[in-house]
Amino acid sequence: MSIPDITKLRNIGISAHIDSGKTTLTERILYYSKRIHAIHEVRGKDGVGATMDSMELEKERGITIASAATNVRWKDHPINIIDTPGHVDFTIEVERALRVLDGAVLVLCSVGGVQSQSITVDRQMKRYKVPRLAFVNKCDRAGANPFRVRDQLEEKLGHNAVLMQIPIGLEDKHEGVVDLVKMKAIYFEGPSGDDIVERDIPAELVDEANEKREIMLDAVSMYSDELMEAMMEEKVTEELIHQAVRKATISQDITPVYMGSAYKNKGVQSLMDAIIAYLPNPLEISNEALDMENNEAPVKLIADEEKPTVALAFKLEDGQYGQLTYIRIYQGKVKKGDELFNIRSKKRFKVGRLIKMHADHMEDINDAGPGEIAALFGIDCASGDTFTSYGLNYTMTSMYIPNPVISLAVTPKDKKSSDNMSKALNRFTKEDPTFQTYVDPESNETIIRGMGELHLDVYIERMKREYKAEVETGMPQVAYRETISIPADYDYTHKKQTGGSGQYGRVVGRIEPLEEGDYEFSNEVKGGVIPTEYIPACDAGFKRAMEKGGLIGFPVVGVKVVLNDGQFHAVDSSEMAFQTAAFSAMRDVYNKAKPVILEPIMKVAVEGPTEFQGNIFGSLNQRRGIIVSTVEEGVFFNVEAEVPLSEMFGYSTILRSLTQGKAEFTMEFLKYAKVPQSISEELIKEYEEKRKQEARK
Amino acid sequence: MVKSELIKRSPLRIFEKSIHGGVDKGQIGVLASKKGVGKTACLTHIAVDKLFQDRHVIHVSFATSVEHIINWYEDIFKEIAKKRNLENAVEVHDEIIKNRVIMNFNQDRVSMDQVIKSLEALINDGNFPADAVIFDGYNISDESKSDLETIKEFAQRLKLEIWFSLSLQEKEKQLFNEKDIPIVLEKLIDNVDVLINLRHSGDYVHLQVAKDHELIENREMALRLDPKTLLIAEE
Repeated sequence: MSIPDITKLRNIGISAHIDSGKTTLTERILYYSKRIHAIHEVRGKDGVGATMDSMELEKERGITIASAATNVRWKDHPINIIDTPGHVDFTIEVERALRVLDGAVLVLCSVGGVQSQSITVDRQMKRYKVPRLAFVNKCDRAGANPFRVRDQLEEKLGHNAVLMQIPIGLEDKHEGVVDLVKMKAIYFEGPSGDDIVERDIPAELVDEANEKREIMLDAVSMYSDELMEAMMEEKVTEELIHQAVRKATISQDITPVYMGSAYKNKGVQSLMDAIIAYLPNPLEISNEALDMENNEAPVKLIADEEKPTVALAFKLEDGQYGQLTYIRIYQGKVKKGDELFNIRSKKRFKVGRLIKMHADHMEDINDAGPGEIAALFGIDCASGDTFTSYGLNYTMTSMYIPNPVISLAVTPKDKKSSDNMSKALNRFTKEDPTFQTYVDPESNETIIRGMGELHLDVYIERMKREYKAEVETGMPQVAYRETISIPADYDYTHKKQTGGSGQYGRVVGRIEPLEEGDYEFSNEVKGGVIPTEYIPACDAGFKRAMEKGGLIGFPVVGVKVVLNDGQFHAVDSSEMAFQTAAFSAMRDVYNKAKPVILEPIMKVAVEGPTEFQGNIFGSLNQRRGIIVSTVEEGVFFNVEAEVPLSEMFGYSTILRSLTQGKAEFTMEFLKYAKVPQSISEELIKEYEEKRKQEARK
Repeated sequence: MVKSELIKRSPLRIFEKSIHGGVDKGQIGVLASKKGVGKTACLTHIAVDKLFQDRHVIHVSFATSVEHIINWYEDIFKEIAKKRNLENAVEVHDEIIKNRVIMNFNQDRVSMDQVIKSLEALINDGNFPADAVIFDGYNISDESKSDLETIKEFAQRLKLEIWFSLSLQEKEKQLFNEKDIPIVLEKLIDNVDVLINLRHSGDYVHLQVAKDHELIENREMALRLDPKTLLIAEE
């Protein structure tokens, strides 16, 4: 099979608020592109019940709507519809899905308009610079008002939203749309809306159509000198408008707005026309990888099939035929029988079965070129892995994995949940390297660790929803650290000479604060006062002592240990004795070096409408936050602050109530910093209480 | 050198002396020059000097990105620390940088009233005890009179020292009037308490006072910009 014309390819996502009809719209797109043969109603049989979700629909119909990527064809253009995660949290998974898209359709309900979830999803797409079209769905509903939705796109999302159509009738009188480019009325006739009929614009809509067309042309011509000139000379052509809209959409200067009712089979084909006309092909989007040979410096990828291959595994799916790995190819091509290299695991593997997913079947293919989406069978990998031609050390995602800063205990409620929980944890840790799990040897509890409260919440929620694992969670724990602030000398003798073989070892030296790194050991022993064979034992002893600091029992970091003198005994000295000596020396000297507690400081970014900035500033200030910067543009503002993680628990709830749910925040680990005196004292007191209690037990 | 010594020896003490103690709370100072001469560096130096004195500064930027401004602060701090061999430079840096907030606006999309509102939100709700506000890259034109009045009222109310940068358009034939007041500022000069021009003469950029509170007079400051670091330096 030859590689198709890449300029015709579209990789798009459909994102929508929960009840705005994403499933119906997706199903209609599959139907009109002839991937499925008849339309089945998504609504319950009684016609008024709740909408079925796509999973149930899939079961009943034997089709795949919710697969990671579905390939359809519209007017000779292959379109990959990529599943955009329904949850809008800041996990690596969302980031990955958005990287794979070249464009997106934002589905909005003509009654509900722009709702909070649309705001969040849209803001993420903005962050990843995804060009968008808007589709105002459900124009047949009572209270439908696509004009108001357009206004909201502008006011709430800051889009330069441009109506490309106006409705012919609304609510139960919704019949079709007027295309403002062609200046024709478009009707969708036949039982399933297959027949597209163009007629003259109904007389009562002519004035409105002319007015809205003017507005559209004014908006679009801002981004096209050719169109501007043509307007002045009154020589506007459809082709000129198309070019201008396309350019401005791809540069994200405008968002063209379409409308209709997927349920009533109105307007879907026009939207599909717009997808191929205005959303970018893979060549029009610039993609970057990180060069591992050059300190992860960004390098531009070129969508050329002759270049070495770079592909991203963006989603793993457990299907009836085993594990399916969805990949997007950014550069070069992937061919059956080729050998590829997994950058993370450093393993080579052979491409076995290569397939393309359609709604109703999978198609075996021989190769897939740049920009394409395909799936591999039976590859052992994690999602987010980068596959390259051997020798090319590029990665699509940073290999730098920060240490988790928060942990909490999870306990399954019953046996079944316990099994499901292991399955879920196994999957999640594969998907997301910043999510880790281990069993605490002391309490025998399963501990999950991650990059923030929200991060862990997402996975707990997914355990429940996707894996039916009911779990109870403990209180989140901040990963504190301890360090020393001044140098201090040690001189410790470990001596045990009562009965049996004795133990003897003496270590002398100093510990000092280390600017960079967790631990450094420097052997400056001269003249063999400690025999060389015992030096590694000393190193190990110091290291072991640092696993639990003397203040609150958290790991000690940033210490350089210098060993420069000591003593040994010809008979009683041993590795064990020196290890114990070093361990005790560290415990002993620790307090002299003025130890302090360090806490994780998060870089917090809050985004929201400007009207709430006072509340947001206040909430950050109350949390010991330091405001670093703000950026204000139009009605939106975002603020960046540095806030201790321990103060951020429950912030999402607080923020929601302070801003009527209109603001959101992200946070990531920034650095460790000294805990203020008063809080340090509290933590030490708590730790001592806890130890006393344990001792009593 | 320790921090207190560094403050004492700063060329900005000469700067303040030559304009009767500097720009007071509730007053507006303007730094004017053509593009690319070093206004942002100068303003940042003024700001860093205040930070060294444990004062709080808001840097309002209308032109460049936040990262760009942060880099200016980092560079200028580093240069000063190096030049004066500052003790505990890393700790001093971490301590003083907490007292700076950068606010970035798009002048076309945000009105001056909104800027003031945002500043007040930070100062009042965010509990940020600002001493000085720097407006960098704000496009001052003939129509800015009401903006300057708004800012003055705000500065007096919150007892803030205000600094502006003024970019002079290269293409204008005449940039200054006979009193060395930039033409664009002629009508607004009553709203400005201190005006300093940055002007090339010889190999250096010199600081020249054009308005010093009540006095409108042209006077050299005995200060110039270090051509390499763009720091304000003694001649």
